[in-house]
Amino acid sequence: MHLKFKNKRISGILSILPSKEVNFIDEITNYNFSEKQSVKLGKIMGYGSRRIVHNGTTVSDLCTFGLNYLFDNNLLNKDSFQALILCTQSPDHFIPATSNIIAGNLMLNEDIICLDINQGCAGFEVGLMQAFMMLDTGAINRVVLLNADILSTKVSVKDRNSRPLIGDGASITIIENSIVDETIDLFIKMDGSGALSLQIPAGGFKMPSSAETASLKEDAAGNVRSLDHLVMKGDQVFNFVQTKVPELFNEMLVKLNISKSFFDYFFFHQPNRFMLEKLADKLEISYEKMPNNICEKYGNGSNNTVPLAICDNLGGKVKNENFEVCLGGFGVGLTWSLVKCKLGNLNFCEIINYK
Amino acid sequence: MKDELLTKIAEILEVDHVNINDNLKDFEEWDSLTALSIIALADSEYNKKLTNDLLKEFKTINHLVNFILD
Repeated sequence: MHLKFKNKRISGILSILPSKEVNFIDEITNYNFSEKQSVKLGKIMGYGSRRIVHNGTTVSDLCTFGLNYLFDNNLLNKDSFQALILCTQSPDHFIPATSNIIAGNLMLNEDIICLDINQGCAGFEVGLMQAFMMLDTGAINRVVLLNADILSTKVSVKDRNSRPLIGDGASITIIENSIVDETIDLFIKMDGSGALSLQIPAGGFKMPSSAETASLKEDAAGNVRSLDHLVMKGDQVFNFVQTKVPELFNEMLVKLNISKSFFDYFFFHQPNRFMLEKLADKLEISYEKMPNNICEKYGNGSNNTVPLAICDNLGGKVKNENFEVCLGGFGVGLTWSLVKCKLGNLNFCEIINYK
Repeated sequence: MKDELLTKIAEILEVDHVNINDNLKDFEEWDSLTALSIIALADSEYNKKLTNDLLKEFKTINHLVNFILD
């Protein structure tokens, strides 16, 4: 699907990272693999350090902290936005929506629409889509989009398949109406038949957590996890990404009648360095134009990776300069999406530590 | 074509060379990372979609090579 949005812009991005850092190399002894095997894995996939939350820190904590930082530093006025969207797959509770909790923490006025969205790897693009649609109503002139996940708490420490990837964090993106006559193009597809290739089997209403779902079992490859943990069919996800993203990318180039050299940067979801290098090779894009450093530096934070990649790789530069960028998300859902937009003159673009 | 593929598989398995009758599971380096590397090789250079389930069915190098070059 191809959606077009007019006169909208991103005006600021803030990433909030937990200060606790863990290193892949320190965790090797947790896995049922030889040290040599794990070192080789880390080198090829690009595993380094990750930021993870302390026990008890929630998505609402990270988001509330970040929004207070923006209010306190006069980067965002508390009464200047009418919608608070939170994309997360690690909500504080099933009921109520975590965005409502955040609005309550901040004592926002009642003229606010709080909305949680359950999306992961393409959560930034889906969140932008929702924000743009809200702005199109005419009743809303500024939207705060939160992308936050703390999935490290749901990955088995003995699962070498997923554990070395996953990091935690949150990002806050401000989206508003703009007088500049620009079009943002958003391409999105979903395939529910692959919905279970990335999942947490237990803990929902279909399979509530119990002593049985918490019991650890070893899979054929030697990874140990329970039904309460995140599980990923890495081979299927890899093939999905290498097939579907290039297809959508080519569709975008044809429909917009542009070549890939049009873009200054490709800020894509950051599963790990290996996947992004293979994807860049397939799309024939240089690694410099498609940053792949986030998993290695902070961990793959699911929802949080694209805005974090922008903050880390562009930072303050994007306050004064303009870039043509292609944003990309792909994964859990299965959902995949590409956004062509301009990024520039941001009021802020930075990373802060939580507490 | 076939020799080139055998060389690439040998590189992934970290051996000097492989024979088509070698059993995949006999290689010291045969693990989930090797599997992913072979899946990536099949995709990027031969445009073939391999999965872990398929790899499990292949007993020898020959089975793997025939699938990729088919």
